[in-house]
Amino acid sequence: MTTPFLQIQNIRKVYGDVVAVTDVTLDVAKGEFMTFLGPSGSGKSTTLYVLAGLQEPTAGDILLQGSTLLDTPSHKRNIGMVFQRYTLFPHLSVGENIAFPLRVRRRPKNEIDAAVRRVLKLVRLESFEDRMPAKMSGGQQQRVALARALAYDPPVLLMDEPLSALDKKLREEIQYEIRRIHQETGVTILYVTHDQEEALRLSDRIAVFSKGVIDQVGTGSELYADPATRFVAEFIGDSDFLEGKVEAVNGKHADIRVGDDLVIPAVPTHGAPTPGRGAAVMLRPERVSLSQTPNAASSLPVTVVDITFLGNNTHVLTETKARERLSVRLPFGHAAANGLRPGQSVWASWEPSDAQAFCA
Amino acid sequence: MPCNYAYSAPAVSDREASVAMLLDFDRLGSWRWVLLSITVLVALFLLLPIIFIAALSFGNSQWLIFPPPGWTLRWYRELFADPRWLESAWTSAQIAVCVTVLSVVIGLLASLALTRGTFRGREALRALFITPMILPVVVLAVALYAFFLRIGLNGTMLGFVLAHLVLALPFSVISISNALESFDKSIEDAAILCGAAPWEARFRVTLPAIGHGLFAAAVFSFLVSWDEVVVAIFMASPTLQTLPVKIWTTLRQDLTPVIAAASTLLVLFTIALMLAAVVVRKGMKR
Repeated sequence: MTTPFLQIQNIRKVYGDVVAVTDVTLDVAKGEFMTFLGPSGSGKSTTLYVLAGLQEPTAGDILLQGSTLLDTPSHKRNIGMVFQRYTLFPHLSVGENIAFPLRVRRRPKNEIDAAVRRVLKLVRLESFEDRMPAKMSGGQQQRVALARALAYDPPVLLMDEPLSALDKKLREEIQYEIRRIHQETGVTILYVTHDQEEALRLSDRIAVFSKGVIDQVGTGSELYADPATRFVAEFIGDSDFLEGKVEAVNGKHADIRVGDDLVIPAVPTHGAPTPGRGAAVMLRPERVSLSQTPNAASSLPVTVVDITFLGNNTHVLTETKARERLSVRLPFGHAAANGLRPGQSVWASWEPSDAQAFCA
Repeated sequence: MPCNYAYSAPAVSDREASVAMLLDFDRLGSWRWVLLSITVLVALFLLLPIIFIAALSFGNSQWLIFPPPGWTLRWYRELFADPRWLESAWTSAQIAVCVTVLSVVIGLLASLALTRGTFRGREALRALFITPMILPVVVLAVALYAFFLRIGLNGTMLGFVLAHLVLALPFSVISISNALESFDKSIEDAAILCGAAPWEARFRVTLPAIGHGLFAAAVFSFLVSWDEVVVAIFMASPTLQTLPVKIWTTLRQDLTPVIAAASTLLVLFTIALMLAAVVVRKGMKR
């Protein structure tokens, strides 16, 4: 087996008595776009700072192409980084900012000039070479920061929520730029964000961080279709949970009783299902349908609470007898949406294989 | 300083607009004449003594009569003819330059520790650095005199420099600390990630970025030492005097218009220094 390009091995980081990163292990392939996704305080940024060398890990190791990075100080790691805050050097022009990493490497002038031109073209800011950072918008500054980080062809590029200070429209625009730049350069990118849409849009794979550990690593569709934990299910996409109890177990599937009326048969389960123990059944809104009579394999009587027309779909919020919320997303023109009214009693139905259970 | 124009600009311009409306000069009606008179009176109060001194330095009466009965350059000739005046000015300049350099260097190192450090007693240390500014100067002067008497520094150049350094340091620490606090440490981290060694990042990125703070520290430190008279009177010896001390002793011995001439030159020098500061500042902002 060949060694993975970048290996993060059992990284742990403790500040005083606060554990920021409990235990993180992850392999990243060369050229991969890997996103660390998680809420603030989940350890994703700390892991990135350990990679950058701006934080010392309490335990664990980081290997790049098989050899450890921890013995190398930050400035010799040859890693590119774009920060959350604007970090252009305020007294230098755009061109001088980009030339800075090459100047400290004592590269010849013609090589520096060529590199500056190349990366400015890459981020499409050719005409801004002589501009001072203070005279640029936030989006432009972050693009220059990206150009500066790429000017010396680092094997790994770290990005710590680089777009979080920008407004939504600009953010999306630069997300596509980043994707294009990733494809054009083939650089390995580790990207930190708390925005699931951003993660899904950019990444080859996503590592979902929660409370200092990685809950799951996978492509966006893997995480959506088959979340390993309840946290991942809640964090990626919309989902609702019905609290229930395990009735019978058959391998990785279980029959789960939800309320008095319904036992959902053969639900794929995560964790160790034990008869009599609690389990939460997850349903995605687009997998649930509404009808006047029970019609699929699993149906539950619900009351309509609110109906919102959203163009290509209609969002129906319902409530079960146990007062649990269950969202239903009906595609535009779906017959079930006709004549639906708040307060109405209907049946929510789904295929058992579309549900998933997380055992407590 | 990194700033987000897209976000901060609207808020600031709104505030500026409302303030501008409140103080709109055209809306004040007859009040504006009252305000104008007050402004003129305050300006005269501030400027008249300086104008008087300048006028007296060219007056031909040796009794400092105003208005002068006639005009002469005699006092300036006397001033430049007396080597003791030039000597004291040269002494002042040497001390002020030494104080400026030391104050900025020590102020920078202290500010780095005070803003970046995480040690215990950091706030107490900051307060200690500021005390010379709050303490009555006479108290400080007597204390320094007593102390320097024991270690034999009174009447020496080194004693002058150290005493003035104590007075100048608070100004350096305050202006450099402020500059460092408004400087985002991430920028230095970015320089390190770019391949600059930590000291190189500080030298090539942090220092230029806080240049305005260093410059302010230098100007303040120079002026603190250059203008200082109380501590200097205690430090001075018959052979080593600063310009303010020379003015003071001359004033006490004989009231000659040469003092007016010296004072006028001092004022001119200070104005020149301030103008230079403005020019340098504009150059820095680009």
